[in-house]
Amino acid sequence: MIVIEDLEVRLGDFRLLIGGLEVMDGEYLMVLGPSGVGKTVLLHTLAGLMKPCRGRILVDGEDVTNTPPEKRGFALIPQNYALFPNMSVYDNIAYGLRARGVSEDDVRRTVTELADILEIKHLLGRKPNQLSGGEQQRVAIARALAIKPRILLLDEPLANLDPRLRSKAREFLKGLHQELDFTALHVTHNIADAVYLGERIAYMEEGRLVAVLRPEEFLVSKYAKPYIDDLMPVFRSFHS
Amino acid sequence: MSSPLVKGEPFLVTLSALATLLICFIVVPIAALFLMVDPSTMAEVFSGNPMLASQARSAFIVTFKASLLSTAILLVLGVPLAYILARYDFPGKSVVESLVDVPLMIPHIVAGVMILMAFGRGGIIASLTGAAPKIEDTFWGVVIAMAFVSIPLAVDTVKVAFQSIDPMLEYVARTLGASRFRAFTTVTLPLALKGVIAGAILAWARGLSEVGAILVVAYYPKTVNVLILEWLNVYGLRYAIALAVPFVLLTLALFTALRILQGMVSRK
Repeated sequence: MIVIEDLEVRLGDFRLLIGGLEVMDGEYLMVLGPSGVGKTVLLHTLAGLMKPCRGRILVDGEDVTNTPPEKRGFALIPQNYALFPNMSVYDNIAYGLRARGVSEDDVRRTVTELADILEIKHLLGRKPNQLSGGEQQRVAIARALAIKPRILLLDEPLANLDPRLRSKAREFLKGLHQELDFTALHVTHNIADAVYLGERIAYMEEGRLVAVLRPEEFLVSKYAKPYIDDLMPVFRSFHS
Repeated sequence: MSSPLVKGEPFLVTLSALATLLICFIVVPIAALFLMVDPSTMAEVFSGNPMLASQARSAFIVTFKASLLSTAILLVLGVPLAYILARYDFPGKSVVESLVDVPLMIPHIVAGVMILMAFGRGGIIASLTGAAPKIEDTFWGVVIAMAFVSIPLAVDTVKVAFQSIDPMLEYVARTLGASRFRAFTTVTLPLALKGVIAGAILAWARGLSEVGAILVVAYYPKTVNVLILEWLNVYGLRYAIALAVPFVLLTLALFTALRILQGMVSRK
């Protein structure tokens, strides 16, 4: 279980405050909020790329607040996937395993297994610039899952996909999570992603965590109102 | 990405005309040098007159050895500086960036004087430590002079290469378990390789062509440029050209080969 306690991060004039947040083992937690509320700052702090000025991050009771990113075991998937352009898909997926000194036989076994599950076996010899957005996303997920991370940190991984691909990718992520049972913290500003994928939704406003609710609770809460109000005129215009 | 030139478009015709003028500005002096060369003088310089041939041969060796060494030193020291300047903000960063560009702005004779005042026998380092290795009229003096004037070209070119690489690639590598060093050497550096090669080519070219700072710091051992200047004064233009032509040919061939290598790296 990952516990965030009384976390404060400062970035110029911006301040992120997370009083308390727990991510259960195997849970898919969505972090929802408008742009600029500090969702990515939270993700980067969890990954160890930014230092908090107060608070603690605990993994199964172990304090990892000052642990460097390479020793933390939190795998980050950024919005642009950040696949290494100088490496093939195979080498991208193998990267974390090789950094950990895993033998080449075990690297090959893990990469092949993940490529099978994520249906990217035919892409292993390609370079990232030869992949579509959806394929890049799958490779980034495979690369992150290869190291068996304590948690997968996803920063708007669906944002760059067109609407049709986006809903397919959403279904794919849900199926993958059910199959592999990994722990994930997925940041989004899209309510459909949050409700469809999240077992719980952590809602953020102005640098603060304001509520953690189940999707069905979230949909009837005051926090969902701006999103629904935004969609209502569209529905009404269709009806008329 | 470059796109092919479309024939007949007025805008491109104008651009091409202006570009051709500039190309001529470079080509005409090169052609003039080659047209002016006297084959008999060249034969005399490189085989007929043992004294001149020996002077020319050792000048070539000194020039290429010193310029390669100064480029290697600049890569070892310049790549870390370029990376720090590209990736981090710190107090005084703009001062450091301006310092890096100083050799570009000052006359190279003055650069030579500065090097002597700093690292020479009567310089600051010698007076602070009580002893300093001799650089006046030594091979290492030539290396230091070449390195000093080439700093901006090496550091700035490599810095731009690092700036063009998304830092997120390195962050992700670290979250996957790579140390800072491993992330740098396996992700950032290979991606910046084209820029590092470009920086090395420019620094080497600057070192090869340097004469002002070398004249002040280390007239001996003579580099090709110093020898060209000497022969111009002592024997006249014909001898200077006879020495300059093979030097220009050799450097042109080497830089063309390096540019091809650079292109191959970027296509990989």
